[in-house]
Amino acid sequence: MSILSLQDVSKDYLTDGQPVHALNGLSLNVERGEFVALVGRSGCGKSTLLNLAGAMDFPTSGKVLVDGVSTSSLKDGGLTRLRRERVGFIFQSFQLLHTLTVFENVELPLLLAGKRYPREVAQERLAWVNLEGLGDRYPHQLSGGQMQRVAIARALIHSPSILLADEPTGNLDTTTGNVILELLRRLTREQNTAIVVATHSLEAASLANTLVRLRDGKIEEITRC
Amino acid sequence: MPLFVLFYRLMVRPLFREPVRTLLTILAIALGVAVVLAIDLAGSAATGSFRSSMETLAGESDLEVVTSGGVPENVVGTLATLPYSIRVSPRIEDYGVIVDTKKALPLIGLDLVAEGSAYAQSETQKTAESQTQDDSEHVFEHLGDADSIWVGSSVGYKTGRRVELLINDQVRKYTVRGVYPDSHGNESAIVMDLAAAQNALCRYGRVDRILLKVPGTPGLEDWQQRLRTVLPAGVEVRPQGTGTNENRRMLAAFGWNLRLLSYISLVVGAFLIYNTISVSVVRRRPEIGIVRALGASRGVILSAFVGEAVCFGLAGALIGLPLGRLMATGAVRLMAATVESLYVSSRPGTIELNAESVLLALVIGVGVAVASSYSPAREGSQVSPVEAMARGRREYDVRVHKARDLWLALALGLAAAVASRAPAVAGKPFLGYLAAILLVAAAALAMPAFVDALTSVSSKLLGKLFGVEAMLASRSLAASLRRTSVLVGALSTAIAMMTAVGIMVGSFRQTVVLWMSDQLPADLYLRPAGSAAADRHPTLSSGLAEELARLPGVAAVERLRAYEISYQDMPATLASADLNVLRSYHHSDFFSGRPKAQVLAELRDSNAVIVSEPFTYKHHLKTGDSITLSLGETQASFLITDVYYDYSSERGSTAPSNLAIYVSPGAQLDVVRAEIEKATADRRVLLFSNRDLRSEAIRIFDRTFAITYALEAVAVLVAVMGIAGALLALVIDRRRELGLLHFLGAATGQVRKLIRVEAGLLGLLANFAGLALGFALSLILIYVINKQSFGWTIRFHWPVEVLLGALTVVYGATVLAGLYPAKVAVHLNPLEVVHEE
Amino acid sequence: MKSRLTCITAAVLLLQPLAPQYRTALPGYHYQFPRDHFNHPDFQTEWWYYTGNLKWAHDRRFGFELTFFRQAVSRDPAKVATWQVQDLYLAHLALSDLDGGKFYHAERTNRSGPGIAAVSESLGRIWNGNWQIQWHGSDQELKAVDERFQLHLTLHSEKPPVIHGENGASQKAEGAGRASHYVSLTRLATSGVIDLGDKKIEVRGTSWMDHEFFTDQLEPEQTGWDWLSLQLEDYTELMLFHIRRKDGSIDPHAAGTYVDRDGKTTHLRSSDFKLQPTGEKWTSPTTGAEYPIHWKIVIPKLGIELEAKTPLESQELTGKTKLAPNYWEGAIVLTGHRNARSLGGAGYLEMTGYDRPVRLAP
Repeated sequence: MSILSLQDVSKDYLTDGQPVHALNGLSLNVERGEFVALVGRSGCGKSTLLNLAGAMDFPTSGKVLVDGVSTSSLKDGGLTRLRRERVGFIFQSFQLLHTLTVFENVELPLLLAGKRYPREVAQERLAWVNLEGLGDRYPHQLSGGQMQRVAIARALIHSPSILLADEPTGNLDTTTGNVILELLRRLTREQNTAIVVATHSLEAASLANTLVRLRDGKIEEITRC
Repeated sequence: MPLFVLFYRLMVRPLFREPVRTLLTILAIALGVAVVLAIDLAGSAATGSFRSSMETLAGESDLEVVTSGGVPENVVGTLATLPYSIRVSPRIEDYGVIVDTKKALPLIGLDLVAEGSAYAQSETQKTAESQTQDDSEHVFEHLGDADSIWVGSSVGYKTGRRVELLINDQVRKYTVRGVYPDSHGNESAIVMDLAAAQNALCRYGRVDRILLKVPGTPGLEDWQQRLRTVLPAGVEVRPQGTGTNENRRMLAAFGWNLRLLSYISLVVGAFLIYNTISVSVVRRRPEIGIVRALGASRGVILSAFVGEAVCFGLAGALIGLPLGRLMATGAVRLMAATVESLYVSSRPGTIELNAESVLLALVIGVGVAVASSYSPAREGSQVSPVEAMARGRREYDVRVHKARDLWLALALGLAAAVASRAPAVAGKPFLGYLAAILLVAAAALAMPAFVDALTSVSSKLLGKLFGVEAMLASRSLAASLRRTSVLVGALSTAIAMMTAVGIMVGSFRQTVVLWMSDQLPADLYLRPAGSAAADRHPTLSSGLAEELARLPGVAAVERLRAYEISYQDMPATLASADLNVLRSYHHSDFFSGRPKAQVLAELRDSNAVIVSEPFTYKHHLKTGDSITLSLGETQASFLITDVYYDYSSERGSTAPSNLAIYVSPGAQLDVVRAEIEKATADRRVLLFSNRDLRSEAIRIFDRTFAITYALEAVAVLVAVMGIAGALLALVIDRRRELGLLHFLGAATGQVRKLIRVEAGLLGLLANFAGLALGFALSLILIYVINKQSFGWTIRFHWPVEVLLGALTVVYGATVLAGLYPAKVAVHLNPLEVVHEE
Repeated sequence: MKSRLTCITAAVLLLQPLAPQYRTALPGYHYQFPRDHFNHPDFQTEWWYYTGNLKWAHDRRFGFELTFFRQAVSRDPAKVATWQVQDLYLAHLALSDLDGGKFYHAERTNRSGPGIAAVSESLGRIWNGNWQIQWHGSDQELKAVDERFQLHLTLHSEKPPVIHGENGASQKAEGAGRASHYVSLTRLATSGVIDLGDKKIEVRGTSWMDHEFFTDQLEPEQTGWDWLSLQLEDYTELMLFHIRRKDGSIDPHAAGTYVDRDGKTTHLRSSDFKLQPTGEKWTSPTTGAEYPIHWKIVIPKLGIELEAKTPLESQELTGKTKLAPNYWEGAIVLTGHRNARSLGGAGYLEMTGYDRPVRLAP
């Protein structure tokens, strides 16, 4: 069974009273360990797709199944549990909490999920992203690449089935960006975690198992390597 | 003009986008303004009125002749026969209670033979000429009757109406013989002829006051000089209404204290304006940058933010005006009660919202807004265009000089300590208030360090105890240190004032309770049913004491009599008591700590007195000094043998004119009580058991201080509203972070909890800080301000239950204040705040 | 007989308890001076009445009136406290600036109280507030203070007291007790000062004192009276009165007294004299009353024919409170002749009951 399955998904927004079709009858399956790159122009529906996949938003029609469960069928508690257990997010501008240390940022999802002793796991995840020893620093003491690595460690803390990354290299220079992408690919492969990356970068696209090209809310082309 | 358009677009319009927060800020200001206004209005209504109560029907007199215990009536004859064209109006002044309505009215005995023609005329003016004779006859017909009274028209009685009046301890029947128009400063009163009044009050041989109208030349002082030579020693001639002025002076002190209390809300409001403008500045840094880059000067930026504050101030003042008027009504009731139980008989006047009060409200509202917005506005004006436009500094992140502020706080604290040691200035504890203000300022400056220290300690602990939300909340509060400090500062100031006044009043109350157990050793107390106040001592029929003493089961009956006297132009109460009873039954505290038997033995020497502590304080006296009192016609010198604690009133009175009854050992209290009730069945007296009396005293005490509680409650309300508004701002400023938490697996409930914990944490911090500051302030209140303005020594006492209750309420209120912001936080759309395009 | 309607009215106003508890004036009263110059509490009503014509050195004439009334209100032995009203003391004070054309008058009402007003033989004093008569031997010192003027006069009686009426009673109406005991000092040499505030005026002249005490002397049909005191240049004096009845007629109990140069008195019955208005009237702007201010007096048995005129028409006393009746009382100038010789004089005229009937009975 696919870890993520979008079946004939449409998503309309109302902007200034006018319906905007963000996604238009889109279907896509993502398997465990698969690296999917979403490419396309701004506004083609990448972010919407990621939001739907992360159960942060719901389709106007069609179905989004995460690990076989339709997100539309879940109530608030179920959705929260789904995010806590299955989904990890990575953002373009890292979205670390400046008031928390690196450790605390990484631990945050476990703490929110009510896990009691998250420090060991956090240490392990920081080791994965090669940031051992920086756990007590605050985000503003880190470089951009380091911050995104902290964000990755945070996204992986609860061993999600699927990682959703929205322009993870958008705020980084090319070299650092490549390192981050390489890291993502290695870790998802090791953990058998699916990853969906919305990106403009060709490097990211070249690393992917599957390249999905979106246009006006539809899949224009799927390339499997 | 273009600047105004710009001001509207950039500063005013954004306010409508956050209507709730804007409204909360305005309301906070409005409440602050309203309270100040209410106290101001109520103050003049509650204290200004009391003149009319006894000065009713005083006419246009210039001078009054008075002495303690009443002016011998032959002085009236002396004055009437002087070869000067003087109008002489002797008066007997007391109070009567209309039995039906329980309404207490001034009872004024006038020489209706000499002055009554005026009343006759007022009646006849409206009638036809032909009838006048009959009408005037009608008025004078019953002049000589002991049951004739005339009443003010507002009492609502018609001529011929039968009325029962409770005067001292007896109810008498009267007939209304006429009604006079009680307008033009003449308040409602019961008017009798002097003969009837003397009869009703059993007060023969003396009149209370003689009012004089003297010719315009020479001056009043020459007339006083001239008249003094014919008056017996001890009888004083002074400008009419001097007694009123004496009481006015005491009332002024009371009004002054209340006014200061009312400014607490304003201080709290100032904190909130400061916070609001700070938030506004921080949020608009990019805008400031752009506007600056487009050519706006620093002055423009400064005035824009100050202008924003002025908008708040103006709106607040406009809402505060009617609100203040409304609150004044309640305040007048509370204040009149206080004034009455503490100082003098009074009847609240009308509340007048005049141009002056409107101006006061505007000046206060706008003034506070401008003053408190200046600092953040200036900070906004100093943002450089480049800095402001740089992205990435979206966080509310203004440098806080913790260490420097802490030193400053220490310096202010020391200054406060020094100021608290200084003596009163012109009878007012100005330096005491200065000390209090310095302390509040010191606390405000120390607040960032305090919040920082406490949150860093607490975050781990809280995280463990209350989960990740608490940790996050505490971290976020610590992160926005300045904002948090201001909020905690505002709330803690309110709490501190509440605590301080709470401790002061609580200590006072406890002291009174202790004092009463010393001062009220008898088993039963009896007093006339007429209404008593600090300057009103209805009396019991003579002979009652002896009668009761003969009853079985009664061991002793102590007679206490209180007189109003004047010492050095300040009113005082002279009390006399049965020394034999005093010696055997009392266990009073004397200042010197000497055994009471010794003190009382000295007191038996005819020229020795003991005086109350407030009395010594007011007149700078001590044991061993001698005082000269005018008692009736004689000037008597007394040696002060000791000073006793007294808390009944700052006049220095022991008890109203009443009887203290000691029950024999072994006799049953209930039985004795029933006996006494039977014996006094024909008199209107109130019999209190010791416990009744104490609870009655405490009830009066609590009524007296009700207004201070009300003022504090408003201050806390303002602070809580401020907390709600500030949390709302915090939520909006942190919507990105809150949205992110959803992405990271936070449940809706967790976000809600986070905001609530934050509110709770603010409340907790404020409670801690407020309690500490309040304790310090209470020391100043008790040992400096009270001592200097009222002369009371209060034994410090923690009113634990009251404080605990109050703090719990405040804490609950802050948590409640977090509810709405939490709701807003939950309804934020995380998608909009996290993803950037 | 003098007006004193004020006190009579006061008696009415206070709804006098029954008169019988008081003595009435009956013939045969034995006078004793100075005792009888003072108080007679057994009688319900009593008054002391001073009027006079004074002259400033520079020929400026003044008239004055100072009247003390006492009206018993209660003789209840239970009501004896200081402020209980046992007697009501009323007083009228008037000054006529005859050449200045001004008339000042004042009234006051008091109870005795703690020495506010009283009559005391032991002190030799009659007073109401700061209006007072103080006896010094046979002389009297009159002091009265008003906000506009003050009088300070010394009165020396040049003749013994005159007792009016017959056998010590001056009958006013038909019936026993409808009378008063009536004493006058008809020629009081007067000197002193009138203080008008801005200037003090030394005056000299002649005054007249009436002292009357009685209980319930008039009857309801009697509505007003006219009374004159005349001090003639030949050192004789006359007192004349008549009482008008409701029907406009003159009550037969009109009377008078003639005092010769030596102080010897002659009682005049109504048939002995004619007292008639000439028709000249002054209308009061205050009360609308029309007072006949020009009188003709004829006493055939004394050969006297006189005309009484006033130099000042407005000498009406009006009560501010309407409690007292309004009356005209003023200085008059006399011209005429006695037998063939011309005779002048000065005096006082009192006219009552012209604005409305004076209520005379309880």
